[in-house]
Amino acid sequence: MRKLKLLVLSSILLLTQQLWAQNKTVTGKVTDSRDGSPVVGASIVIKGTTTGTVSGADGSFSLSVPNGTKKLVITGVGFEAQDVSVEGSSIQVSMKPQEARNLDEVIVTGYGSQVKRDVTSVIAKVKGSEVQNMPVADLSQTLQGRAAGVFVEAQNGKIGEGIKIRVRGSSTLNGSNEPLYVVDGVPLVGGVYGSASSDINFNDVESFDILKDASAAAIYGSRAANGVVLITTKKGKAGKTRFTLNTQYGVQNPTNKREFLNAAEYIELFTEAAINTAKYHYNRAGNWRGYASEAAAITDMTNYVRGRFNRYSGHSSWQNLETNTNWQDQAFNDDAGIGLIELSASGGNDKSKFYISGSINKQDGILIANKFKRMSLRFNFDNQLTNWLKVGLNMSLAKTERQRVSDDNAFNTPMQLVALAPITPLRNLDGVLYNTPTTTYYNGLIDVEDAKNHANGYRNQGNIFFESRIAKGLTLRNELGIDLVNQSDERFWGSRTDGGAGIGGAAWAQWFRNMRLVTNNYFSYLTSINEKHKIDATLGMSFENRYDEYSFVQGENFADETITTLEGAGTITDGTTTHDENNFLSYFGRVNYSLNRKYLLSLSARADADSRFGTNNKYGLFPAASIGWIMSDESFMKGAQWLSFLKLRASYGITGNNTGLGFYSARSAYGSVKYAVDGGGLGITNFGNDDLRWEKVATADLGFEFGLFNNRVTGEFSWYNKKTTDMLLAVPTPSPSGTTTILANIGEMENKGVEFSLNTTNISSKDFKWTTALNIARNKNKVLKLDGNQKEILPTSARFANAVIIGQPIGIFYGVKYAGADPANGDPLYYLQDGKTTTNVYGDAGQFIIGDPNPDWIGGINNTFTWKGLELNVLFQGVFGNQVQDGGGGFMSASADWFDNQTRDQLQRWKTPGQITQVPEARLNRFGDFESPAISTRYVYDASYVRLKNITLAYNVPQRVASKIKLSNARIYISGVNLLTFTDYPGWDPEVNTDYRSGNINQGSDFYAAPQIKSIVVGLSIGL
Amino acid sequence: MKKLSIFIAIAGVVSLASCDKKLDLQNPQAIDAEVAFSTSDKVKKVLAGNYSSLGDGSLFGGDALWMSELMASGGDLNWVGTFPDPRQIWGKTIQTNNTYVAATYSAAYRVIFNSNNILAHIDVVDPADKTRVTAEAKFLRALAYFELIKYFGEKPFFAGSPATLKGVPLITAPGPTTPLDDFYKLPRASVDAVYQQIIADLTDAETNLPADNGYYANKPSASLALARVYLQQDKFAEARDAANRCINVATVNGFTLVGSYASAFNNDENTTEDLFAVQVTSQAGTNSCFTFFSTDTYGARDGDIEVTDAHYNKYSVLDNRRNLFFFEAGAWRCGKWRDVYKNVKVMRLAEAYLTRAECNQRLSTSVGATVASDLHQTRGRAGLVLLAAPTLQQILDERELELAFEGQGLWDAKRLRLTVDGNAWNADKMTFPIPLRERNVNANLSQNPGYN
Repeated sequence: MRKLKLLVLSSILLLTQQLWAQNKTVTGKVTDSRDGSPVVGASIVIKGTTTGTVSGADGSFSLSVPNGTKKLVITGVGFEAQDVSVEGSSIQVSMKPQEARNLDEVIVTGYGSQVKRDVTSVIAKVKGSEVQNMPVADLSQTLQGRAAGVFVEAQNGKIGEGIKIRVRGSSTLNGSNEPLYVVDGVPLVGGVYGSASSDINFNDVESFDILKDASAAAIYGSRAANGVVLITTKKGKAGKTRFTLNTQYGVQNPTNKREFLNAAEYIELFTEAAINTAKYHYNRAGNWRGYASEAAAITDMTNYVRGRFNRYSGHSSWQNLETNTNWQDQAFNDDAGIGLIELSASGGNDKSKFYISGSINKQDGILIANKFKRMSLRFNFDNQLTNWLKVGLNMSLAKTERQRVSDDNAFNTPMQLVALAPITPLRNLDGVLYNTPTTTYYNGLIDVEDAKNHANGYRNQGNIFFESRIAKGLTLRNELGIDLVNQSDERFWGSRTDGGAGIGGAAWAQWFRNMRLVTNNYFSYLTSINEKHKIDATLGMSFENRYDEYSFVQGENFADETITTLEGAGTITDGTTTHDENNFLSYFGRVNYSLNRKYLLSLSARADADSRFGTNNKYGLFPAASIGWIMSDESFMKGAQWLSFLKLRASYGITGNNTGLGFYSARSAYGSVKYAVDGGGLGITNFGNDDLRWEKVATADLGFEFGLFNNRVTGEFSWYNKKTTDMLLAVPTPSPSGTTTILANIGEMENKGVEFSLNTTNISSKDFKWTTALNIARNKNKVLKLDGNQKEILPTSARFANAVIIGQPIGIFYGVKYAGADPANGDPLYYLQDGKTTTNVYGDAGQFIIGDPNPDWIGGINNTFTWKGLELNVLFQGVFGNQVQDGGGGFMSASADWFDNQTRDQLQRWKTPGQITQVPEARLNRFGDFESPAISTRYVYDASYVRLKNITLAYNVPQRVASKIKLSNARIYISGVNLLTFTDYPGWDPEVNTDYRSGNINQGSDFYAAPQIKSIVVGLSIGL
Repeated sequence: MKKLSIFIAIAGVVSLASCDKKLDLQNPQAIDAEVAFSTSDKVKKVLAGNYSSLGDGSLFGGDALWMSELMASGGDLNWVGTFPDPRQIWGKTIQTNNTYVAATYSAAYRVIFNSNNILAHIDVVDPADKTRVTAEAKFLRALAYFELIKYFGEKPFFAGSPATLKGVPLITAPGPTTPLDDFYKLPRASVDAVYQQIIADLTDAETNLPADNGYYANKPSASLALARVYLQQDKFAEARDAANRCINVATVNGFTLVGSYASAFNNDENTTEDLFAVQVTSQAGTNSCFTFFSTDTYGARDGDIEVTDAHYNKYSVLDNRRNLFFFEAGAWRCGKWRDVYKNVKVMRLAEAYLTRAECNQRLSTSVGATVASDLHQTRGRAGLVLLAAPTLQQILDERELELAFEGQGLWDAKRLRLTVDGNAWNADKMTFPIPLRERNVNANLSQNPGYN
């Protein structure tokens, strides 16, 4: 009799197999070693075969095994696998919860999964449980320091805004360098603001699997060049329904504040600067103003600066130091609140399983008027309808509400308040905020009172699937997914604000909708021949349609400033709507083959056709291959008892990047051009190129994985060489062609690096356990080719030095070397091109490589200590060997060049001949007699840092106590993020890239960027 | 097997539904380049669009005007803003990578590109509109070339032999559709060749443009443009006659000086005095003169360009043009560019009177009107007394005040052989460099003297 049974290997990976023989029946029960409760859905497999069954709702199982069967392998999600001997007919199995990473861990690959042992590609896994409840807004921040070769950087301390992730460096100049995020099979897309990943409640995440090498990622084809982050959400587990209530509350503060001049110092420095300017003008600048004497010049300048002090001090007397405003403090919200409340339920039976959750996460920014709130719901469900068909649904709905603040270069952004004079009172005697001319620049606090910057986003993300077992070992999975993003961004500026002055108040509203429909349809085939050859094959297709809709309205002249919607605008000044569409058709396949589970081979390929490609290149092919050899299983290695596992692996493959192309970049196009009130016509909006295609990244990878002392120490090492060709560049063209650039696939870049990770169980006794997870990575980026003619793209800004130079890393700093203040006269000195002699003329200075924003090394070390119910987790994360340029230095650390309040280090200015200092003589640049400080090494700093990224101390209430109060478990914890930072960077925070200019090239720039958020929370998690 | 066939069928349908046709998607916001020149209406729309190109911020949307004034400042203007590139122009210390300089060069060639394409497809245009469309396209092309030759030509026309002085690349028909084609690596044509092209285009435009054409190019604006061109060649008789034709056609078609000087500026719509202006609205167009001359009170930047006391004092206290200056943020400001969303004046009728007066004076003629009466057109409006027998210097002084900061500064300084901030009119530094970016992509492009 042939009987068909479905075998569930895990709740994530579903494979089918048939049970053939029956000679003897073994029964037993699987229980949790912690409390003896039944383990539902554990798999029981005859060792060395794929024959097996799963445990039922009471943990029991029954399995027919051939006579002579010696061992069964029992695995369960969240438990360590174990081998049990078949002795007698009833077996009791007590499962230990999974702790250290082990070789049986299930790794999610694209369109499938594999156990860690058999993986021949490079995939970093971070479990959801590791990052659970971390008090940050965005899930990508949780990955910081946890995965080798994954660099995460928040641009600044604004909440839920730009976060940069680089997996193995930057591979493109003009496209996106961010990895592709795929949530339960559906690629995630961004909106018009914020990061897409901040729409996801990461407490719903079961695992992050980061596909790093080409062999792992090539199955995602033309979008995989920067790696792929596969996010798998939690699924239900059969058994009694478990409710979990999760709450958290805490406070947030900036990681650091800078020191600025107080009122007395301000008056002193600027008075001195005025006198120095007078002397300079009279003696060294030709006295073109025609002062009668040096004394006359000094009198004039002194009067001038006093006039400014009078102006800036408003109703108060600067002479009596009546006002001493700390404007920096005004930018921050002290002890900004953070809170989380979440309820989830998970359960089911052997046929149906569900996981539902709802959460509200609220964070007040450390900056005034910056807030973030996310509400999310999730419903994951699957049902085994028949013995061959399983259906399911994974769906989430999230709303994010943001109160945003302007980019770092805007006068109205809170951090720019630091430029205002400490002698300026906040408000006049009527209680009204001062503005220019009393404040030096626009007072951004007016925006807090009179402007609005509200953004709401809705994201509905999920899929439905059908999984059918068609024949022995063969399944078909059909998925239909959506990612629907709706965002609105509404702003209002009252007539007192700088955005609304002169036009009676202003407002705009933008609405954005992005609908992505995805269908994935693929066959999986799993077979083994003679238990020697194991084949796991995948073949399928995918189609995606993306449709973006955008509308924008802008108005002015508000009748009443309490009506802030555009209905209140007297004049509508601008508006537009646009639609954009992209189609994406793919075919993909993969074969994993293993011989004796020792010799492993994986071949994969994807063909992508993308509507954005030029007509000459409609399809891209992305093949990859990898091999692995489990050397430790060879007989000649058996002698080495200490070496429990050793796998060598190598891979090579091609991935692509399509993000450098707009949807319609390949086509020459004429669009509408506005002119006059009723005029307007057509104008060329794009110079097309039929050859446009994906950027191509070829990656070679060599590595090994090892386990020592019965896998008490495990580790992994990879070396890679990633070369981008066909890199998209806006190639400069002669202007008589009608355009100055044309997009073409022409450049080249490379990333070479190594990654190492190590997991150790240092102490493991009955009550105390200490484990360490360490990861370090080095990446070296090099630009190899631009358009073939250009050797460099030089900096275009006076404040920043980012350049692209062939042979150098992307975004390298190229500029002037500063030589300190001239001991003779206090002039700023710069090195000439010879690197030795100095000049006081900035324009004559030589140009050098003066810094590199790309770190040499990144790493993290995570120590976990458990003692009885107590658990301490300490994660340090570090970035080494990179520099940051402070573009704001030319204003706030500028030897009193203008009336911006200065950082206190400017008190070290040159004062007397012979004095050796880095700070030039204080001089107010009233007459343009000398150059205001521009970018040079004066403002370039080492930005290496080590940070206590996350520390959590938790107490798990003992089971017996918990059950007395009718709880299945209870956990109370205190957790901190960014509590300590060790760095030599003198600015606010070394983890920075000012938002207004951040990009692939423009990295490592500070410009009034808010410091990172330091938070500390207490939380309670109880299970019912 | 039944199940299998169902699933294969499903997969097949899904695959078929996504056939190759879906991979060819048209941008809903645009039409393909070939389509844009397929009908008469569309070609005319491309012509209308070319006015927007001419009004680009880097060209007649302001930069071409204030850059001339900053460079000719001679103590009348101060650049106090933080941007280093305009400061270089003000100080005559321009680097070859100056972004404003490069942008103006490119913007001018965009206008030329558009005109060349229109002219190449002129046969698609309705016969009734063909001549006018041709004339407008040539007018726009001529204005673009004129800015190019003045800013980038090696030396002014009269500084040497125009046939050997290096001008700018001359392209008068569309080239290959691939911008990287070597065809576009054009060498510089001579100053003379470029001027010949400008005069040919403007002559055609003057002949065929309607006397009144809304805010588009009209006959008197083509005449005044020609007068400007001839002045740059020291051809006073031709300039006088062109100015005379301008005045004659303008005045019989409703153009006249507006009542008060102040009302000639900060206008949403062309006044009767505007022969040609770039249209700026709250929704379209740029006026970068406003951006840099005005102050934050009016929604501009912080007042990057200051007018000095020296300039302010050039106006007599009786001269009501003096009242147009306003004192803000510590300095005098040019009131011509005070308000936001106002047109950029490119050619005012007042200039034609001043040009005719100057040329008549130089040639001792009185074509059209007497020198005294022409001069009094603007002086009288400014509240000044009639000069019965003006001298050339008085005419030039009047021209300086009347047209101050409207973009003619550098061109008048050069043709009048003035020394500006210590630089002779024909000094190397009084010409823009050929932008570095152009020379990087075109080895055939030589640099102007004094730059490398």
